[in-house]
Amino acid sequence: MASSKQSFTTALRSIRRTANGQWQPLERQFEALRVGGSVPRSRRCLSTSPRSRDDVESFPIRAAAEIDFAPRPLERLPIARPVPASPSYFSRKPTFQDGFLRLEELMREYGKLPTIPTEQAERIAWKSFRNFKHALGEEIKESEFHRCMALVKRLHRIHPDMKPEEVTSALEAYKKDIQPFTRTDTKPIIDRLGRSLGTGRRKASTARAWVVEGTGEVLVNGKTLAEFFGRVHDRESAVWSLQATERLDKYNVWALVEGGGTTGQAEALTLAIAKAVLAHEPALKPALRKAGCITRDPRRVERKKHGHVKARKSPTWVKR
Amino acid sequence: MSAPNSLRCLARPSAIIPRSLTSAPWIAAPFSTSAPSLAKAETRKGVMPGGHVRSGKKMQLGKFKKNAVRQGKSPLPGERKAYRKRIQLSNSNALPVPGLEDVRPADMVDENKIGRVMSIPGLVLDQLRDVEAFKPTQYWGMFRTPSTLLRAETVDLARRMQNAADKKDMLRLVISGERLTGKSLLLLQSLTYAFMNDWVVIHIPEAQELTTACTEYAPIPETDPMQYMQNNYCLRLLQGIRKANERVLSRLTCAHSHTDLPQNIPVNSTLLQLTNSAKEPEGAWLVFQALWKELMSQTATRPPVLLALDGLAHIMRVSDYMSPSFEPVHSQDLALVRLFCDALSGKSTLRNGGAIIGATSRGNTPRSPSMELSLTQRLAEQAGEEAPKHPPYAKGFDPRSEEALKSVRVVDLKGISKPEARGLMEYWAASGVFRAACDEKTVTRSWTLGGHGVVGEMERASLQTLRP
Repeated sequence: MASSKQSFTTALRSIRRTANGQWQPLERQFEALRVGGSVPRSRRCLSTSPRSRDDVESFPIRAAAEIDFAPRPLERLPIARPVPASPSYFSRKPTFQDGFLRLEELMREYGKLPTIPTEQAERIAWKSFRNFKHALGEEIKESEFHRCMALVKRLHRIHPDMKPEEVTSALEAYKKDIQPFTRTDTKPIIDRLGRSLGTGRRKASTARAWVVEGTGEVLVNGKTLAEFFGRVHDRESAVWSLQATERLDKYNVWALVEGGGTTGQAEALTLAIAKAVLAHEPALKPALRKAGCITRDPRRVERKKHGHVKARKSPTWVKR
Repeated sequence: MSAPNSLRCLARPSAIIPRSLTSAPWIAAPFSTSAPSLAKAETRKGVMPGGHVRSGKKMQLGKFKKNAVRQGKSPLPGERKAYRKRIQLSNSNALPVPGLEDVRPADMVDENKIGRVMSIPGLVLDQLRDVEAFKPTQYWGMFRTPSTLLRAETVDLARRMQNAADKKDMLRLVISGERLTGKSLLLLQSLTYAFMNDWVVIHIPEAQELTTACTEYAPIPETDPMQYMQNNYCLRLLQGIRKANERVLSRLTCAHSHTDLPQNIPVNSTLLQLTNSAKEPEGAWLVFQALWKELMSQTATRPPVLLALDGLAHIMRVSDYMSPSFEPVHSQDLALVRLFCDALSGKSTLRNGGAIIGATSRGNTPRSPSMELSLTQRLAEQAGEEAPKHPPYAKGFDPRSEEALKSVRVVDLKGISKPEARGLMEYWAASGVFRAACDEKTVTRSWTLGGHGVVGEMERASLQTLRP
């Protein structure tokens, strides 16, 4: 409260200063602020400073105007404090709430439109709960998310010929960024220096490998295979895609790996190098698939369960 | 009712018929590095040939009946360590390599021999064994005769040694490099060259034996700052020198008389006699000093001297010894180490030519920031680049070590080239330890998996399964 008052007075002062160092009646100052819109000019103003002669001349003392008790038309006062754009600003999840309200609104408006069965609707990969939460950056409950997605899926089933544009645009936010069902493979390219880039992932590791024609030199994060991987097995899996296709002495590899442990990094490299080699020799795809270098292994560490010591391990049985 | 049963028979796999021991070719392995005593295990009762010692689950009737595991006799104290540290230099199970030649002095300086594996002659082998040049971690026990690959670095080093001997000059050199790149082996090759050319060789196989306070020490009287002699180690060293250099030392005669030794050595007695005079640890350092003085003598003709040391980082720091006032003793205050460091820094000269070679080690080695910095500086200088500066805020630097390495030449060992790798792998294949065909593909595979031809890593990638 005190601060708002202070700022108000400072605002007033600044206005005063702009008026060539002359004191202005409060009335005028209020007018300048446009607070209240129509303050009657005739109202007497209060000031403790001596008035200049001009002022006295321009504002002769007059009696107050009659109070008008007639009901005034409702007019909106301009708001003097910032108001958030969304009414759900003060909830913890405004974006989600707004989206949800928008979907409900659309549902009220277009819910009566004819629908098609789910299997005939365009196949779309919707964001998963985790994905959605991450994209929004808000703490939402899984149950709320599912209620929201039920609406999304219902709206998506509206007959495509009648589906309004606003519905289509509203549903965009719920789609995954990459649509696997409509996606076409991007063709790997070889740049002007003869390099091709491939990426691979395994467990928590990500690998990028640049492959050029060469004599079998491999550098991972600037180190040789022997320096980077202590285990011979990991070294072999890192270059397995070249070794399985008997191309180890035909290419050089320069790779960057991050995240995860040694096994994950080695196997992420397998995939990355395989993809990069495919740019040079697309015909190797069946051989590489047979060697297990094409399919990404989706397994991750299994979550720990309550009542267990690890994911599966149970605590030791004790009699009492 | 019998029909379905008989049909079911077709679906089942047929019973496994155990192969007989004699007719199974896969049991008679053509090559094995394990001791023949282990072969008995296969004929034990109840164990399938080639199967695991545990023959599967067995029903146990008594609940608390203990498994009757026969423990056998436990090894005596020290026996395990002796087994771990034994050095086996040949293996009669390995195939003899056709066309393998003994290395000759001329081969080691011959550029055309780069990439060839040559065996060490028997006489030199004994000498190398006497100076403890072989190590238990090396793969000698997998081959018929100890042989080494002549690398480009080997030939370069041998040439430098030849130059030094011809000009009566002094080669001061440090062998450095990554793990398993063959630093100790290059040192061994330099020892081989020296032995073959009748140099006098003094080799300290493990510098840590001198500085980790595991051998006795005593202050040398009338030295300031105080220096220390290590008589026990000196005696062992002298015995090694005597055995390895017997032939050369017996030809040389003393130019001075040595009366202060345990045994009176008159002028014109042989250097072998002088060396032999050290029978007890007492006075061993004096004998060593006298021998060194004789070798450095200008009045008589002397052969070049090779002073070699492995594990350089151990002498480039403060040792684990304590002075009488209980302050740590710097490694270079130990008389033997000081002699090496003075020669390495060029403070003292080898009057009759020779070489001072120190090899760094990457296993069980203390960190010596001064040595690391000095070696990188020397390498940069050799490459004609600007040498890295001394880091202003870093700790643990030792000016004495930097002084010792101020003007040495550094050999930075890296992986071998592909032709060299091929020569080596063909030798493996001919010895029967590498079973695949030795062509470009397998060579590149080993070379790549071995981190661009790091020899030890190549061995790990290709021969590890054969290690006994």
